[in-house]
Amino acid sequence: MTENKPKIVCFSCKFGWGYLTDEAILSKQIENWVPIICTGKIDTTHIMTAFKQGADGVLILACPEGDCHYQDGNFEAKKRVHLLGELLKSMGIEKGRIRIEFGTDPEGKRIPQIIKEMSQDLAKLGSSKTSTLAAKKPAKEMIKVKGGK
Amino acid sequence: MAKPKVAICWLGSCGGCDEAIVDINEILLSVAGAVDLVLWPVALDYKYDSVKAMKHGELALSIINGHVRNSEQKEIAELLREKSQIVLAFGACACFGGTPGLANLITKEDIFNWVYKNAPTVVNPKGNVPKTSTRLDGHDLTLPEIYEQVSALNGVIDVDYYLPGCPPPPHLIIAAISAVLENKLPPKGSTLAPHRALCDSCKRNKTKPERMAITDIKRIHEVEASPDTCFLAQGILCLGPATRDGCGESCININIPCRGCFGPVEGVVDSGAKYISALASILDVQTDADMNRITDQIADLAGYLYRFSLPTSILKKKRG
Repeated sequence: MTENKPKIVCFSCKFGWGYLTDEAILSKQIENWVPIICTGKIDTTHIMTAFKQGADGVLILACPEGDCHYQDGNFEAKKRVHLLGELLKSMGIEKGRIRIEFGTDPEGKRIPQIIKEMSQDLAKLGSSKTSTLAAKKPAKEMIKVKGGK
Repeated sequence: MAKPKVAICWLGSCGGCDEAIVDINEILLSVAGAVDLVLWPVALDYKYDSVKAMKHGELALSIINGHVRNSEQKEIAELLREKSQIVLAFGACACFGGTPGLANLITKEDIFNWVYKNAPTVVNPKGNVPKTSTRLDGHDLTLPEIYEQVSALNGVIDVDYYLPGCPPPPHLIIAAISAVLENKLPPKGSTLAPHRALCDSCKRNKTKPERMAITDIKRIHEVEASPDTCFLAQGILCLGPATRDGCGESCININIPCRGCFGPVEGVVDSGAKYISALASILDVQTDADMNRITDQIADLAGYLYRFSLPTSILKKKRG
């Protein structure tokens, strides 16, 4: 692991991408991997919190389109990611920092490949520290408050 | 027994919050009888030096409105914090940064360039811009330093209570002041307003269909909005689902959708992010083209979602 490696937080649906693969092996390969019961459960605040805590990108692995175990959770996630991407764009943050992939990975091979691709894309964008400017620092630090509690 | 001393002060403010206090009408007279108003720049003669001469904690309450963008505002906020037992952030600007907080979408440099150089109405051949100090005729003149970003009051001092709104409505102002005088305050850090979302009390709520499905987003001036129907059901963005209740629905009552001046509901940090989740779930779109079309219909998404709360949002950012 080098210092410059982009930090990716990966949320994955336990049905589509999780239960067929060996989570123990995958979780060693993928740092910050958060298996979740359905991508429809992912709130935009979870994604934004990941960025706040230093993620350079957020990857969401959802079930194949039209094939959600809970009817349409992946579709809900898709709409959220799209809107959140638009919000990031209007705040001057690259949309490419959020990515949603639909499919399954019974062999556990595709996930590392996607992570690798996304890492390469994020490396081109640089750290989210530079693109999110003040996001990492509370306003107190930004304006260099001396004695304020 | 001496009456408790109270300060009411504005920082980066339009004056609307002070006017809202005056709007409690004759109750203000009984408040003035119950407390000793020692500082209220908009209404009374005052000297900051008289506050500086006070002991720590001598002020029972400081009601502070407005955002913080310069060193003078920060200095006043710190002075009042030092002298006060309780600090109440009053109004959307003090609580979340307010509308002026939208300036955080661009840099101070961009703002200065526009205001002092590039705006078509500016005539400034020498390219003068405000400086923190300058020497003129043998005198040193100083101005407060303008900071890079707007911050809410809790960005510079410790805040005990919050009363949001643009401006806060009279009934909540009265309730807040009464709570202080009667020592019936909730735990420190509380917002002195209802915990639920505006939709919970909105009388239009019952008009919304069981399953909301928006195929187009319209702006309020583009349509003749029904005065009784849920705005979202009409395809008009209303921030009610992600905004704290308590305003008295003053916008809804004049057929204007909620803009979010009461900030996030209890337990939520970032109302804009929450609203994205809510909005996404009611969009009835099938294809990517549909999705793109509907997002193109939203003019200035960040500005709309964070009209009053950008400085306290999770993602604060210079617009690229």
